[in-house]
This record gives sequence, C-alpha cells and structure tokens, in this order.
Amino acid sequence: MSPSWTDLVEEARLSLQAIADYSENLFNPTLRLGVTGLSRAGKTVFITALIHALLRGGRFPVFDALATGRIARAYLAPQPDDAVPRFAYEDHVRTLAAERRWPQSTVDVSELRLVIEYQRTNGADRTLTLDIVDYPGEWLLDLPLLWKSYETWSAESLALSRHEPRAALAGPWHAHLATLRPEAAADEQATLTAARLFTDYLRACRDERFAMSLLPPGRFLMPGSLAGSPALTFAPLELPGHTMAPDGSLWAMMRRRYEAYRRAVVRPFFRDHFARLDRQIVMVDALAAFNAGPEALHDLQAALTGILDCFRTGRSTLASALFRPRIDKILFAATKADHLHHASHDRLEAILRQMVERAAQKAEFAGAAIDVVALAAIRATREAEVQCGREQLPSIVGTPVAGEVAAGERFDGNSEVATFPGDLPPSPEGLFAAGGTAARAFKGLSHGAEAQADYRFLRFRPPLVAMEGGEAPPLPHIRLDRALQFLVGDRLQ
Amino acid sequence: MSSSRKPATFKLDDPHVVVLSPEDEATRPARGTVQVLPEPEPLPPAVLPDRPLAPMRPGLPWGALFFGSLGGLMLLALGLGVSNLVEDLFSRSQSLGFVGVAFAALLVVALIAIIGREIIGLSRLATIERLHARATAALAEDDRPAAEAIVRELSTIARGNPRLARARATLQSHGRDIIDGADLLKLAERELMSPLDAEARRLVSGAAQRVSIVTAVSPRALVDMLFVFAAAARLIRQLARLYGGRPGALGLVKLTRQVIAHLAITGGVAASDSLIQQMLGHGIAAKLSSRLGEGVLNGLLTARLGLATIEVTRPLPFTALPRPALSDLASDLLRKREGEDADKSGA
Repeated sequence: MSPSWTDLVEEARLSLQAIADYSENLFNPTLRLGVTGLSRAGKTVFITALIHALLRGGRFPVFDALATGRIARAYLAPQPDDAVPRFAYEDHVRTLAAERRWPQSTVDVSELRLVIEYQRTNGADRTLTLDIVDYPGEWLLDLPLLWKSYETWSAESLALSRHEPRAALAGPWHAHLATLRPEAAADEQATLTAARLFTDYLRACRDERFAMSLLPPGRFLMPGSLAGSPALTFAPLELPGHTMAPDGSLWAMMRRRYEAYRRAVVRPFFRDHFARLDRQIVMVDALAAFNAGPEALHDLQAALTGILDCFRTGRSTLASALFRPRIDKILFAATKADHLHHASHDRLEAILRQMVERAAQKAEFAGAAIDVVALAAIRATREAEVQCGREQLPSIVGTPVAGEVAAGERFDGNSEVATFPGDLPPSPEGLFAAGGTAARAFKGLSHGAEAQADYRFLRFRPPLVAMEGGEAPPLPHIRLDRALQFLVGDRLQ
Repeated sequence: MSSSRKPATFKLDDPHVVVLSPEDEATRPARGTVQVLPEPEPLPPAVLPDRPLAPMRPGLPWGALFFGSLGGLMLLALGLGVSNLVEDLFSRSQSLGFVGVAFAALLVVALIAIIGREIIGLSRLATIERLHARATAALAEDDRPAAEAIVRELSTIARGNPRLARARATLQSHGRDIIDGADLLKLAERELMSPLDAEARRLVSGAAQRVSIVTAVSPRALVDMLFVFAAAARLIRQLARLYGGRPGALGLVKLTRQVIAHLAITGGVAASDSLIQQMLGHGIAAKLSSRLGEGVLNGLLTARLGLATIEVTRPLPFTALPRPALSDLASDLLRKREGEDADKSGA
C-alpha cells in the first residue's frame, strides 16, 4: 500500500517526538524496553522479576553490572505519563512470593520507570532510566492491522476460520455469516449479532486445548474501556472481490467501523508504546502451543511474524535516533523454560529460532543484534531424574496450579508432582512446514483424548520462598541474568 | 521423529513413588516403584571432549629434525668425550676414575631431570594453548558441556595460585546455577583472570619502565641491547608463570617464537590504533633528548611485546574483560615516579 496522508502525518509526529526524546536523552539517558509477547507469554512476570532483580539483587552471575557490584542502587521513579496507570510491582511481588499465585492476566496498559544508579567500568557515576510498559498481550495482535484494509483483513480472517481446528469452533458464526449480504442496507442488530458470534469464536479458539494465537482484532478478546462501543462492533464479511462498497450498505458500515478501530485504538497504541523502542524482548510461550498441537504452533508462528514485521529494527545511528528510532537489540525468549528439564533447553531455543527466523533475519540484515534464549523469569520447579520401570525420565518437580489435569488426575494445588513433559523434537525442521507434514509432526490436546498427546506441560505455582521480614527475597530464575545482560548490559558498561 | 517417550506425571505423595535422596544411592527401593532422584546439580558433570591433537604444521618438521639430530650428535660427542675422559682417569689412577664416574652419573641424572622438566613445561604450555583454542570455540558455539569442562580445567590450573582461592570459591558457588556456555566462560574469565590481568599489566609496565630507564642512562648501546633482551626474556617467563604455565628453556624459546609470530600478525592491526600516538610521544621525547627518546621507544616496544605475551599465554581469550591496550601502559610509562614505586614492589 502506498503511503497515505495519515501515514505521512503519523511519521512526522513520530519524528518530532523522537527529536524531543533525543534532546532529553542527552541529559538523562533513557532506555525504552519493549516487552512484547502474546497473552499468557509471561510479560507481567518478566517485568516484575526484572524490577525485583534490580531492586533486590540476587544471584545474577552473568549480568555483569550487578554481579560485579557496579549497580549502586535502583529505585522506582514517577512515570513520565500521568494518564497511564502505574505498574503494580508491589502487588505482583506479593502475589507471587507470599500467596504463590501468578498475577492475573493484564487488562489494561500500565507503565513503569526504573532509575538505575551505577558506576561505569571507568569509574564515573551515572544513572540510566528504564521505561517499561505492560499491556494485555491480545492487543499486540492489532499491530498488523495498521497496514491492512478492511477487505484484506476480512478475507484473511475468513480463510483462517475455514481451517481445522478453527472451522469446528466457527460453526455458529459461519451460519450467521451465510445470512448476511454485504450490499444490503446496514442493519445494526445483525451487526451486533455478527460481532458477538465472531468474538465467541475468537474466545473459543483461545482455549487451552487449541491455544490459537492469530486472533485479531485483540480488543475483541480484551476490550479494556471500549466494551460495547461501535468501534468494537464489526465482523468480517464474505465480500465480492471487485466492486466498491455501496453507500449505506452493511459493508460500508463495517468498513467504517474497522477504520475507526484502526484510527482510534490501534494507531495510538502503536504510537504511544511501540514506535519508539530502543530494545525489545519478544516473549513466546511455545510450550502452550506444544500442548495444543501442531496447528497451534503454526498459528503462533504466523502471529509472531505478523507482529514482528511492525517494528523498526536496525543499527542505531544519529540520524535514526533523531528522526526514526530503531530497535538495535532484540532478544527472543522462549518463556517458561522451567517447565522442562534443562537438557531440553537447547531444543526449545532451536524451535524458537526457527519460529522467528524471518524476523530475526530481517533484524540482523538491518544491523540489529539478536539472541535467542530459553528463559524463566521466575523458576517454579526443581529438576529430578525419574526411574520408571526401565526408563530414565529427566523430569521436573513442582506444585501444579489447582485445577490442572494430567493423566486423568486433577491436582489440588498443594501436592507436589514430578512430571516428564515429553521429548521436544531434536530438530525444528518440518515443524513449521506448510500442509500435511506439519500436522503429522506430533499430537496435541486439540486432537482429542489427552492420553494420546505427545506433550503435557503442566502449569506450576510460583516457588515456595521464605519471606524476609515482609519482603520478598531474591527469586530463583533461569537465564534472567543473561537476558538482562543482553538487553541493558551494554548501557551499564 | 525419535519422540517415543510419552509424557508422564507422578504425585510425590503417592505410595508407589519413592523420593530418593542423593546419599542413599546404595539402597535400591523395591521393584515396581517409581523412583524420583532430585538433581542437586542442574549442570550435569560434562565429559571431557577427547579430541586428538591437530598437527601444528603440515609437512616434515625439517627444523626440528635438524636440531634434533644436531642435539643427538652433540650428546654422542659428549658421551664419547666423557667415556674417554673416564678411561683416561682410570688409566692414571683408580680413585680419580671413580670420581669421574660419579660426576658422569650425576651429569646423566641431572640431564634426565632437566629433560623431564622441559617436557612437563612444554606439555603445560600446550595444555594452555589448547584451552585457549577450545574456549574460543566454546564461546562461539555457546557450548555448555565444553565450557563446563574448560572451567573445571582452569580451576585445576588455578589451584596452584593461592591468590585465586576466593575467585575459585565464587566460581564454584555458581556451579549450581543454570548458565549457558559462553556466559559461564565469561564468568570464569571475570573471576579468575581479572586479578591475573592486573598483575600482568603491572609486570609489563614495570619491565617497560626498567627498559626505558636503562636505555636512557646506559653508556653503551651494547649494554642496553643486552638488557632489553634479558628483560624481554624475563617478562615472557614471568607472564607465562602468572597464567599457569611453567616454561623451561625450550618452553621459553617456543613461547618467544609464538609471541613474535603474534606480534607479526597483530602488529598491523595494532599499528593503526596507536602508531600515531607512539610516534608523537617518541617525537616529543626525542626533541628533549635523543637518549630519552630511545628510552621511551624501547619501553613501548617492550610493552607491546608484553601485551603479545599476555595474548599468547592467557588460557582464555579476552571477551568479558577489556583487552589491555598499549595506551594504558604508555601512560604508566610516562609517569616515572609511580613507575619507580612499582619497580620496587615488583622486583
């Protein structure tokens, strides 16, 4: 699509903002860390763990600045944006450490500013300000819509919904869709019903058994403050390929609302939180997709590819810093690495690398540094070797979340289990191939009976830690130090 | 796909599940139970990679053959000379003959001891060299088992150095954490190498200062030439010792050859970053006095030799820690007073 007038205005706004940021940055070095990940990827936990690490210290041998004691102090500062809620770090830590619960899923944007006072390796005292934003992962799915017209989006959504396992879930919506004619006069009730059925279908796809990822628009799943507004009342239509939308038709109305959604929801979200990032961590929960099946894995890859295309990556230069800020370091993190034995971490990393190959290549070509890491911001399990009959199973030991089911047994959230989640494939080749080979790669929960599934990654409760005088102690983690070293280590040299 | 093992979950409070502790390894529980053995160490002890030694140079080692055969001939000549001598002594007097035999026996024993020491020294140098190569490879591949093995070997070498006791303890305390290969090596470098690097830097700058002072004040060119050679040999030996090597005479020769080769390779690169500075410094100093200028130049050359030696003798490549640069040392060189202090303490 050729750049339209709005795109040009948008670019100009971003450039102005970048110049203002740059001049501020001279006096007060600031790093904007973009924590990107779909819902349930672990963004909130990662941010909490990151802040906790910097505030509280702990075992971070690889994070050079902390390990060598050069970080004098870190503290939370008032955030720059007064209209955005503050990230509830204290609440999250309390939930994690004292109640041993994971934080609730995020429903709205929140922001946080962390100031790090450190000593450079040459001895000079400096401060670095870290700006981090937390937001519902569903909203990230909207970013690719910025570059899609209603017609394109509609056609893509329909095509997707006709593949298994989505087709079975989309039944009611498809039935209603068949009764709609795009050229007919606009009908508010029919639109409401269509939007409701479409939303139900999206929600159903998100169920743990299917774990689909590519489900735009994101606000349908997590409406925030916009629930029920016309901007959220539209749905894809079966459109004829050639003609224009007649005035006053259903098609024209849907199209207008889609444009309103893009203008009022997606664009500000992108502008405020993603257009000016310095560093990015892309968090991917590949294990949930392995639980569900090859289709979920494929879907996750498609969603990630679409989202990562929206970011500007490349080597940071003076010109780029002034006019078109770029992300110069991207870390792809396979989260929840504590859900499998560390011997499989390399395989998990290989799978993630394959999944984000396109984005990684693009970023590397543009001069950005990338890394792939299997990470657990908070480590919930220990490792154990299980001898069952003749088999040696490299397993993990932890307390599953209440209500988790494995092998026909429902856990109460108190008893510990040792679990072997299944062997990840030794090479990621073939996992993402289009068509039949991918579907035969392995069996997940979406195929039916749980006993036949090749993988079962349970969800575990946070680790049991002893509170120290009402404060949470340093929390265990896997490779959080490496992630920090990659993301901010060079700015703390 | 080799994924044949199905997922399985065992409740720890199930009567059929036995949780073992690492101590009661010997008592195997009853058959038919599921045994859970918690792993205390997230990093399994890695097996040392058993790689064959790659030949250093292709083709016949003519130089080695030449010197080997020359040495053999000289030994034969020596043996012949000694046996003739002993025979002569016996023909002259019985007791003198026995004294000669005793000396000859002592000579042989000492020779064997020296050869043994040389062999040990050479093999130690080769170990460090291989360690360096393996560390470079492991850093590039982010290979965890390899890094584990390297760090363990490094700790063994470092055991000989009491200054590193604390660093070794710190390193061992992190053995339980899950750290990737490259990061583990960087951690080891930061812990084990940074005290040694500081010491090495002190040694190099001390030697450079001595050389520059002696060159500046020596009455004859021959004297300072000899002194420069002696100081260089001493510096190479000291640095090799510091980083865990034990070079004997042959080891020193080998090291010196490596250092010179390294200088030749990196000289071009290093020249671009500091040549101007050197020339400038030399130029100003030479304007003050030609002897002084020569002194500074000789000192800088010694410092450069020292840096090359550090590169060759250090068991780990420079990744986490900054590579010492000539400019750091040059500034030391120009600060004479501090240099004299360091000289006293370093002597």
